[in-house]
Amino acid sequence: MKCHVPGPNVKVLARTVHALARFGDELYLESLPDCILLRTLNAAESAYAMVKFNKNFFSYFNYNYYSTEDNEGLKCKISMKSALNTFKSPTHIDKQVENLEIKLDPESCKLIFQLKCRHGIVKTHFVSILDCKAMQAVYTKDTVPNRITSPQRILSDALNNFQSSDDQVTLEATSMSLILRNYIDCSADLTKIIRTQISLKPAEFDSYMIGTETVITFSLKEFRALLTFSEALNLPLQLHFETTGRPAVFIVHNGTTFEAHFVLATTKADNASQTTTTQNTNIERSKRKDTSGTQGSAKKKPHLDPDISKCLDEDSHLFNFVDIPGDNEIILSNKLNGNHSINKDKTVNDLMDCDNIPASPAARTMIKSVFKRCFESTFDPRSIQGAVLAENSDSD
Amino acid sequence: MKFRAVMIDAGPMREFSNVVTIISKLSKECVLRLSDDLIYFIVSEENSGPSPPILWCEIPQAMICSEYQLIGLDEEHKDIYLALNSGNLARSLVTLKTAKSLKMKLTKKQCPCLTLEIESPCTVSQQTRQVTHDIPVTVVPRKLWSDFHEPRVPDPDISIELPPLKQLRTTIDRMKTMASEVVIRASAEGRLTLQIKTDMAKVSTRFKGLRVEAFGGPIEHSDSETETQINEDMSRVCYCRVDAKKLSMFLSAEQISTNSTVCSIVHKKLVILCLQTDENIKLQCFISGIVY
Amino acid sequence: MDEGTSQYYFTASMDSGKTLCSLLKAIQFQETAVFCALPEGLKLTVEEGKCVQASAYVPSDNFTEYHVRDDVDVMFKISIAVLAECLNIFGSGEESSLKMYYRGEGSPLLLVLQPQSVNNVMTDCEIATQTADSVLELRDEDAEEVAKLVLKAPAFLGLLADLERSCEVFELNLSPEHPNVSIVTYGMQDRSCIDMPKSSDMVQSFSCESPVTLRYQLQHIRTIMKALAISTKVVLRCSSNGLMLLQLKLEKEDQRQMFSEFYIVPLLDD
Repeated sequence: MKCHVPGPNVKVLARTVHALARFGDELYLESLPDCILLRTLNAAESAYAMVKFNKNFFSYFNYNYYSTEDNEGLKCKISMKSALNTFKSPTHIDKQVENLEIKLDPESCKLIFQLKCRHGIVKTHFVSILDCKAMQAVYTKDTVPNRITSPQRILSDALNNFQSSDDQVTLEATSMSLILRNYIDCSADLTKIIRTQISLKPAEFDSYMIGTETVITFSLKEFRALLTFSEALNLPLQLHFETTGRPAVFIVHNGTTFEAHFVLATTKADNASQTTTTQNTNIERSKRKDTSGTQGSAKKKPHLDPDISKCLDEDSHLFNFVDIPGDNEIILSNKLNGNHSINKDKTVNDLMDCDNIPASPAARTMIKSVFKRCFESTFDPRSIQGAVLAENSDSD
Repeated sequence: MKFRAVMIDAGPMREFSNVVTIISKLSKECVLRLSDDLIYFIVSEENSGPSPPILWCEIPQAMICSEYQLIGLDEEHKDIYLALNSGNLARSLVTLKTAKSLKMKLTKKQCPCLTLEIESPCTVSQQTRQVTHDIPVTVVPRKLWSDFHEPRVPDPDISIELPPLKQLRTTIDRMKTMASEVVIRASAEGRLTLQIKTDMAKVSTRFKGLRVEAFGGPIEHSDSETETQINEDMSRVCYCRVDAKKLSMFLSAEQISTNSTVCSIVHKKLVILCLQTDENIKLQCFISGIVY
Repeated sequence: MDEGTSQYYFTASMDSGKTLCSLLKAIQFQETAVFCALPEGLKLTVEEGKCVQASAYVPSDNFTEYHVRDDVDVMFKISIAVLAECLNIFGSGEESSLKMYYRGEGSPLLLVLQPQSVNNVMTDCEIATQTADSVLELRDEDAEEVAKLVLKAPAFLGLLADLERSCEVFELNLSPEHPNVSIVTYGMQDRSCIDMPKSSDMVQSFSCESPVTLRYQLQHIRTIMKALAISTKVVLRCSSNGLMLLQLKLEKEDQRQMFSEFYIVPLLDD
């Protein structure tokens, strides 16, 4: 893979890396014929970010330069720290950098970032590749009942009213108002914590559609990071969400060159209890194909099981998959092209069962091998379709 | 017990927020005492005993509130005393600077709370947005109320108007990096000196031409420790040694716009800083003297 | 100056001690400094181990009055931290006039400061002094200069600020061939490299006969950053024994100049 990022876009890339750094410690890069994807997942597997840079973001784009196999783009993982080191001071980077070249050096197994800066200075970072895998999470964004487009500043201004010690926020969405509250763990000492609540009116937003009134709770740390990202780039933020327990998807895009999806697991407000979550852990686990043979204790957080990962290595470089009941893709997107088999009723019902389980456990990135199609050049990654898998975290 | 107050004027709301911010810098906990005429903020040391509180603030409610309703326990116990975390209150009031109104009331949620309802203008439309904060409070039991009454202090030996607090604070902040204690010296001639002395350095900042509000009469200096300037009549000079960090904290009250700040000294024993604002908010800080 | 001070070892006056204060803070990475009042000007030197030696030099034309007795050596140890705080007693927003007095050996250094904007306040300081050991001479007369690089200070600061702090080693590669100047730092698994060709408009001049690679502790190199932030120009000289000398020039509004100097000892190959 080899590509060139023109000066003004380097800032966007820098901002992206800084935002992703608030989500996870490892950065996955994947180059496809028409785009490059940057992804990360947090350790608790409750927050996922994916930013897609289209071909037109770059001034030069060759997705499989240096690759040994035809049509095989780059798939790799680097440390987030290395990425941050390359993109220091995002606020000033546009004044300094004229051009950035990213290319793979297959011999040394390093990703080379070369920044051509003003005054003839050239900065080169030789970043070690930690792994040659890709990673992808699956989530629904298009058929959700609740969709809000927020101009900048409204949400971050609202968040200014919260204490910096608050770590989760609850969103109560009704057609009349959007209420933000700081989430208080049931085990916390109520006599010591301030409860803050802000009510925002639908008129404040660019668009506001609540199909299903709901209450969702998610982590503030990542939310703040994505708000900073959208504000730094002067772009509105889209919130797509459904009901309690389903992941909330936040989208920032400029319509042409890049699109960022931030997926946060949600928990039910104020009622999360230890027992229900562990119960869910068990249930979700039992649905998995028993290749791993691991039952695990109820308290163990879901994570990548070594056995599964091993069999995945031989697979199409996708990691961590779960077998969804019905084993078929569920089409929930309206944009799809009708080539895919639909077994809607059965699987949606299964999903409904999933829905009834309150506060399911930590998100897992789940990919079915069927999704290998995603990486074929004919596939339009925009219309992401797939099983909606509960990706929720414990309010830990 | 019932309490409800509303503020709608920008100036008083800003001052209120500033006062609470200063209090939060001095102490994590404070007592809010509500009476018919005055709102008090009181910060006291753990074991105050007979000594005065560290901070005593009086806010005439009529000057800042457009509405004010208070119902105490009974006829004899009309005031309400609430203990709360000053940091919580200060952080919630930060947005008060741009707010349209503030409503405060005593509520009972999962525990007794001081509920603040702040109405802020929206960034885009003409509408307002409402923010609610429930700040947990503890009702102070009656037997402790005497700890929170008007402080009784000995008559000061001298009361002198201070130069601008900002100036003082800059200097004290430099001094506190070099020494832990500072000596404040004032003379009936209108001179004020701040002095630190360590093995490494002796630094004295001397102000003159300050207005003396009151002078209690000749001071006795029994010790030879006092250093004298040339031609200085020591009977008209008094001083007090205080903790430099504490003094610096109090001087952060420079945020409040004041008409004047008066420093009163009880020779060797106590320093009292008294600020008064346009809205008649009175803030008194007490720093006890360090005696060896 | 007042009468009676004519016998003093050293007296000096300045309209504003602000720049002097900034300069002292720039070399303040140790607690004490050696204070020398030379006929040419004031020099304060700070040492860290035997690896870094920094000096602030204030030529006498920066003072409105400057007097040093020619029959004595005015040299003593003083706390540079205390000196800097005293010079700053009225805050950085204020220009304060400064008077310095040093009566004789063993005396404290006396400072008198008065802010320009208000006239009812002044500060006097007495700062204790100690006998100074001699200042370490790091220069080797026999070693010759192998490379010299002159850069704009803010630009060099930008480069240094970008280096990953957790790296231990600062590797400097100088060569008459392109890219001339190359700074390499090594991280846990990564390597970063900054190339600065002599054609860059950041480089004011560059001379180097043959390629040379020198290694220093990054932490030591970073000690110059505060001084770089207030300076206009930096001259980097490397000698054949690896010793690096950085000379920084600070130009004030009144065209007077002050200087800071850093000697940094290289890392020896094990």
